[in-house]
Amino acid sequence: MLEINNLNVSYGKIQVIWNLSMEIKENEAVGIFGPNGAGKSTLINAIIGLINNKEGSIKFNEEEINGLETHQIIKKGVALVPQKRELFPIMTVKENLKLGAAYIPKARDEIEQNLEFVYNIFPILKEREKQLAGTMSGGQQRMLAVGRALMSSPKLLILDEPSVGLQPSLVTDLFKKLNEIKKEDVSILLAEQNVKQGLKVIDRGYVLENGKIELEDDAENLTKNEHIQKSYLGI
Amino acid sequence: MSFSLNKSYKILLLLVIFIVIIGFWNPNALLDGLQRGSLYSLIALPLALVLGILGVLNLAHGEFLTVGLYFIFMLNTRFNLDPLVAIIPTVIFLLILGAIIYWLTIKRVVKEGHLSQLLLTFGISLILIETINIFWTSMARNVYTSYSYASMEIGSFRFGTYELLYILIAVLVLVGLQLFLKKTRLGQATFAVGQNPKGAKIVGINVNYVYLFVFSVAVAILGIVAGTMLPRTAIFPEVGSPFTLKSFALAAMAGMGNLNGILFAGVTLGIGEAVINSIPNYGGWSDIVFFGVLIIVIISRSYRGAR
Repeated sequence: MLEINNLNVSYGKIQVIWNLSMEIKENEAVGIFGPNGAGKSTLINAIIGLINNKEGSIKFNEEEINGLETHQIIKKGVALVPQKRELFPIMTVKENLKLGAAYIPKARDEIEQNLEFVYNIFPILKEREKQLAGTMSGGQQRMLAVGRALMSSPKLLILDEPSVGLQPSLVTDLFKKLNEIKKEDVSILLAEQNVKQGLKVIDRGYVLENGKIELEDDAENLTKNEHIQKSYLGI
Repeated sequence: MSFSLNKSYKILLLLVIFIVIIGFWNPNALLDGLQRGSLYSLIALPLALVLGILGVLNLAHGEFLTVGLYFIFMLNTRFNLDPLVAIIPTVIFLLILGAIIYWLTIKRVVKEGHLSQLLLTFGISLILIETINIFWTSMARNVYTSYSYASMEIGSFRFGTYELLYILIAVLVLVGLQLFLKKTRLGQATFAVGQNPKGAKIVGINVNYVYLFVFSVAVAILGIVAGTMLPRTAIFPEVGSPFTLKSFALAAMAGMGNLNGILFAGVTLGIGEAVINSIPNYGGWSDIVFFGVLIIVIISRSYRGAR
């Protein structure tokens, strides 16, 4: 579904991602783990077209998307839950959700079903549908960001550190929801520092350190891996 | 930068009380003030739109108005077109001009700091003024229409009817803009981009296209203003320049991005000015009062904000 080959990404003269190759298969949940500054967000921003200083190939459903603009990539069926949520603060919850579908022709026809689906996963969003997004708590805003991304009927859902700034119980809760979403014919790319929680969602994972992939394996093997246990799980 | 459509009922109530008092004390000043205020708001609206959504400070704003005025003047003298009818071709002309200027220049400073924007748009304003100077010289020009000095009498109170058009058009443009922002998909995209450009990109909005659209429409709205103004205004190459500063003042007083607030601010300042003008020998004070009121509003707001 997503195939990245020999990707190099730079900010100005500073190269952040080095010769990276990875893939995500149909209906697969893939994790990217790594410490702060490893290049997780940079990689995601490069995939989604928010960074243009990049070389290499990024193929989505066999189609080259490197060089396209963000809005074009989104329309092809990629959705992003950004680290900083990027909601519309003076619109209501429902307006935010609807905007998630309004500019994607395919999703526009499915707006009612998608809204129901999102309200089912996050009942709190239905309760608060008339509240302004900017007045909600951090955890609720995160749910809204996930909900908005789901409104676009994505084939690939990318989440950039969804656990950041959430209290542990909310993180557990959110990752349970991700497991529900996984059942719905959606591929997931999850960038996380919280490896312990992340491993419960993903099928396969990459470890990204200093802009290079250090390790790739399925979730079960990653859990047993010595480097992962020492550096990320504190065992 | 945030962009709000909130209705400020308290301000509206104060304004109504203010208007009633002035109306009993000096009906002429009230009417004059309402007309000026509507005109100021009309001119400030597109500036506030560009400021609120693109975050671009456009110093050439007044000059786009001047271009519109001269374009209508040209249509009137060459083709004998009535200024109000000439609004239609002028709006189309300004829409295209705005789009071209956006693509060639403004596009490059949207993400830059305000200094680059000020320098660029100052340059554009000079180019526009000098171009007009070349074609029409600095001589003041007028357009005469049969209706521009029509007047009406109620009891012993006599007033010009033409300028009531300013009020009507200001309300129409404001309502039209609000409906567009609330009800259309492109309007919602505009509203979304104004709140969070990055968020807009990731819901699939073509942000550059929205910027182009908003800038062109903002310039085009000045075509409507130009057509209504021309029958009552003598034009010269710098005729639009003072409006840039007044528009900034209005946008600042209303609060960045508050469209309704612009109408309130415009009417308040317009009436303030008109009252001063109606006092014999004190006409020169009107600009001082205009900016004095502005400073008081901004200071009081910053105190409220600090609390």
